[in-house]
Amino acid sequence: MASLPILSSAARPGAAAGAARPTVERILQGARPSFRAAYAHVPFCSHKCHYCDFYSFVDSEDRQERFVIRMESECRAAAALYQAPLQSVFVGGGTPTMLRPNLLARTLSALRESAGWGAGVSAGPGEQNASGTSSQPREFTVEANPDTVTEEVARVLAESGVNRVSMGCQSFHPHLLKALERTHNPESVPLAVERLRNQGINNINLDLIFAIPGSSLADWEADLQAALKLEPSHLSCYGLVYEPNTPLFLRRQTGAVLPIEEDLEASMYELARSTLASAGYGHYEISNWSRGEQRCQHNLVYWDNGDWFAHGPSASGHASGIRWKNVPRLTDWLESDPWSLVQDVESLASDARTGEAFMLGLRLIGGMELSRVAELLAQPGGARREAAIAEALSSGLLERSESRLRIAPHALLVSDSVLCTLL
Amino acid sequence: MPPRRPRSLLQPQLQLRNELTYGAPILSPARTPILAAVQIRNFSIIAHIDHGKSTLADRLLQATHAVSERQARAQFLDSMDLERERGITIKASAVTVHHTFKGEDFELNFIDTPGHVDFAYEVSRALSACEGAILVVDSTQGVQAQTVANAYLAVGGGLELIPVINKIDLPAADPDAVAMEIEQVLGLAAEDCLLVSAKSGQGINELLDLICQKLPAPRPSVTDKLRALVFDAKYDDYRGVVVYLRIFDGKLRTGDRIRMMGTGRTLSVTEINRYTPFTERVKELNTAQVGSICASIRTLADVRVGDTVTLDSDPADEALPGYEEPMQMVFCDFYPATGGESEGTGKRADFEGLREAVEKLHINDASFTFEVQHSEALGFGFRCGFLGLLHMDIVQERLEREGGVEVVQTAPTVSYFIDLTDGTSIEIHNPADLPDPARIKAIREPIVKLEIICPTENIGDLIRLCDARRGTFKTQRFVSETRQILDYELPLAEIIYDFYDKLKSITRGYGTMDYDIICYREDRLVKVNILVNNEPVEALSLICHRDSAEQRSRNILTKLRKQIDRHQFEIALQASIGGRIIARESIKAMRKNVTAKCYGGDVSRKRKLLEKQKAGKKRMKQIGQVSISQEAFMAVLDQGD
Repeated sequence: MASLPILSSAARPGAAAGAARPTVERILQGARPSFRAAYAHVPFCSHKCHYCDFYSFVDSEDRQERFVIRMESECRAAAALYQAPLQSVFVGGGTPTMLRPNLLARTLSALRESAGWGAGVSAGPGEQNASGTSSQPREFTVEANPDTVTEEVARVLAESGVNRVSMGCQSFHPHLLKALERTHNPESVPLAVERLRNQGINNINLDLIFAIPGSSLADWEADLQAALKLEPSHLSCYGLVYEPNTPLFLRRQTGAVLPIEEDLEASMYELARSTLASAGYGHYEISNWSRGEQRCQHNLVYWDNGDWFAHGPSASGHASGIRWKNVPRLTDWLESDPWSLVQDVESLASDARTGEAFMLGLRLIGGMELSRVAELLAQPGGARREAAIAEALSSGLLERSESRLRIAPHALLVSDSVLCTLL
Repeated sequence: MPPRRPRSLLQPQLQLRNELTYGAPILSPARTPILAAVQIRNFSIIAHIDHGKSTLADRLLQATHAVSERQARAQFLDSMDLERERGITIKASAVTVHHTFKGEDFELNFIDTPGHVDFAYEVSRALSACEGAILVVDSTQGVQAQTVANAYLAVGGGLELIPVINKIDLPAADPDAVAMEIEQVLGLAAEDCLLVSAKSGQGINELLDLICQKLPAPRPSVTDKLRALVFDAKYDDYRGVVVYLRIFDGKLRTGDRIRMMGTGRTLSVTEINRYTPFTERVKELNTAQVGSICASIRTLADVRVGDTVTLDSDPADEALPGYEEPMQMVFCDFYPATGGESEGTGKRADFEGLREAVEKLHINDASFTFEVQHSEALGFGFRCGFLGLLHMDIVQERLEREGGVEVVQTAPTVSYFIDLTDGTSIEIHNPADLPDPARIKAIREPIVKLEIICPTENIGDLIRLCDARRGTFKTQRFVSETRQILDYELPLAEIIYDFYDKLKSITRGYGTMDYDIICYREDRLVKVNILVNNEPVEALSLICHRDSAEQRSRNILTKLRKQIDRHQFEIALQASIGGRIIARESIKAMRKNVTAKCYGGDVSRKRKLLEKQKAGKKRMKQIGQVSISQEAFMAVLDQGD
């Protein structure tokens, strides 16, 4: 069980037993969001991995059906907030594919209807524009653990209109998976990919993690090659993050786990950049690569600082400067129907919004359009940020082309140094 | 300012003896009638630390019925928490009790002395108010370094000694062997040693009798003009400064207008007290008597131990001898602790809080000096001077405990005399104050006479230690079959640098040491500059001997390398003497500080993380392009590299 969110909620003054916590409906009153996407969080997992700081747990009592019923009512309520069909729905977790197939189908169906995509089954990406009511491309992503992608699950996903699946591979080396406490069998990845493709789901992302304690550059190269062999349309490669309040973090604190050398980690990142570039993948965000234009539309909403709605316990949403997080406990979320209680809410001042826009926008390899930069610099704090940009340009951390401002490719790995000056 | 004439424990201050004990040979019957009807004996107890001095003092008070069993709280004379805890008497008191010997009433004035070498000057002043001293030696420990130092100080002051072997009730007691040590080392006959247990009371009455019988009576007045020796001063929250006096000549009355002959200050005596040990107000103090006065003195800085009090209207021609300005030998900086270090302790960690605490403490202890120091690295703090290392520790502890501030202390340094090419000399105690090398003819440093008493088996290791610390071997003597005295001369700078810990570890705790400054001596001393990316960092520069410069520099650079975060570029760390680089290290360029994942749920948290980084960077000190945190400076400047 992820116990920390409960602790932190208890620690909030006056937040006893959730009585004082507002609902999503309440905090959005007066805001004029233009939601472009929705994120739905399915907290169930078969196992809690040691590096994971998402809200997820192994449910000891069967609350899947109650979860789905509650999700259906939230979807109906949220639909009223959307001014146009959404551009993307992303179902993450936890492990969404842990839901029993019929319940998974109901969840996906509710989300699809809520998004304004109609009740009918939408097929692959090729048909999006033809069948949709909007000219926007629609992306419907579900996260999956490779072990859980049975033929039945693959069929349910396809029949529910899901056109993108993101799979957490992390590594193809059993000893490295063990270091992360991942339980899946690496051999299940190609099998899952094949089952999804058989159902017509061709937009597949594989998550890989590098800089795992005990890993070598050769291990990482082998992982990249194994992933490329499956020809995914999208790859996310993350340097392992020691998130506070995870067992992995504690084990590093106590010395039980020794992080790999910074220089080796940097070499691994550079290896990913060169290997994926020569394999024809475009690097479009610090940790993300895609084939052709198959970028993750959902995540682009985040990096564009756009608005999205949050479904499910612990999910976070953004509505024109208001960032909120739903209550993390499944019990609390089930009880607040149809609007989730909110655990944390932050109404950003314009300066913080500007800072976030830079922090997110410059994560993209292509950077930000100069017109957008100028717009942001016209906000309060513009002079300070302009000076910071000038300094980063002169030290070579930032680059400016005729139309865009971006982090210099050689400085991607030290991008925090630039980003923190623009907050 | 020229260096003060060095004090040596081993060179008795003969002129002192002649003056203060003039005309008072031991038990001179011819002199007795000149004194008042009551016989007076002024004495101190001297001992190595923890040999039972305070317990013996308590027992003496009890035995004379000055303090009842019920009133007796352990170690009555030590009044500060810190003293009790450390078993060290920091400030002297004087207590007057009475004892009947052979039908005669004796007034016994017991003058307490500070118990550590750092207060040698104060000890010498307290001793010069006495005619005799009880030398206490622990029967399980034998003669130790401060036993010897204190005994020499007393003998040097012309005092009669009563050797007492204490703790004879303990199973490990070996009084015969200890008596032999006393004879061997101090030349006091073994058969004259009195066996005592301060704990059980055994031998206490004999000791009281011996004090009356063996210690000399005070000398009579040599002039009718008032001369009183200030042997201690304490600050009292209600009464201001309480000055402890021993009248040598004339008498002092309440209401007298007095003059401090050393400082020239004049004051009116508002009250005179004696301690029995409870405060007893009296109208006057007569020749040979001991007591305290109050005179509306607001700070201890206005009173000098060793000064002579005389009447303003009828002043003495000459002050009593032996007055010296306290001289600070060891220096360090105190800065307010910042950030995490003071969190949760409820203590203040700002400069103003530190200033209040330092000023308040200085009212209580004028023997440390302080001046505002601004360090480019650490901000505002105080550079403080102390009589010695222990004094420094005590001041720091009192600042934290009594002043309620959290302080960070830099590694101690000594004071140096710089002889300039123009023939003048300046004193500095901060490497940053060193003049241009071209103007320096010589750098002189304080040299101490060090006396170590240790088990014979450790002699070889200790000789190696002292030699490695630029020591000059002087003598080696036996205390007993198993223990020896080792005498060395070595630079004070080498002692303040991790010496005592090494001594204790080599001798498994059995070794003891004592030192006294004897002179300033020229040596091949150099200023080492520390450079970060070619920028000198003055706060980190140091003065050390040329031969140890490389080693010291490497230690500092290694520490610095671990403390400075990686930057976008490689950072060169160098140590130099003049323009020559003697050690170098480098910090590789940062390869990675990137937020790998930043999706919808991460935005707020990541932004706060970056904001924290940014704020942290803002607090850092910029040395050229390099940001160094205050914590990093602290780690390098902190004691014990």
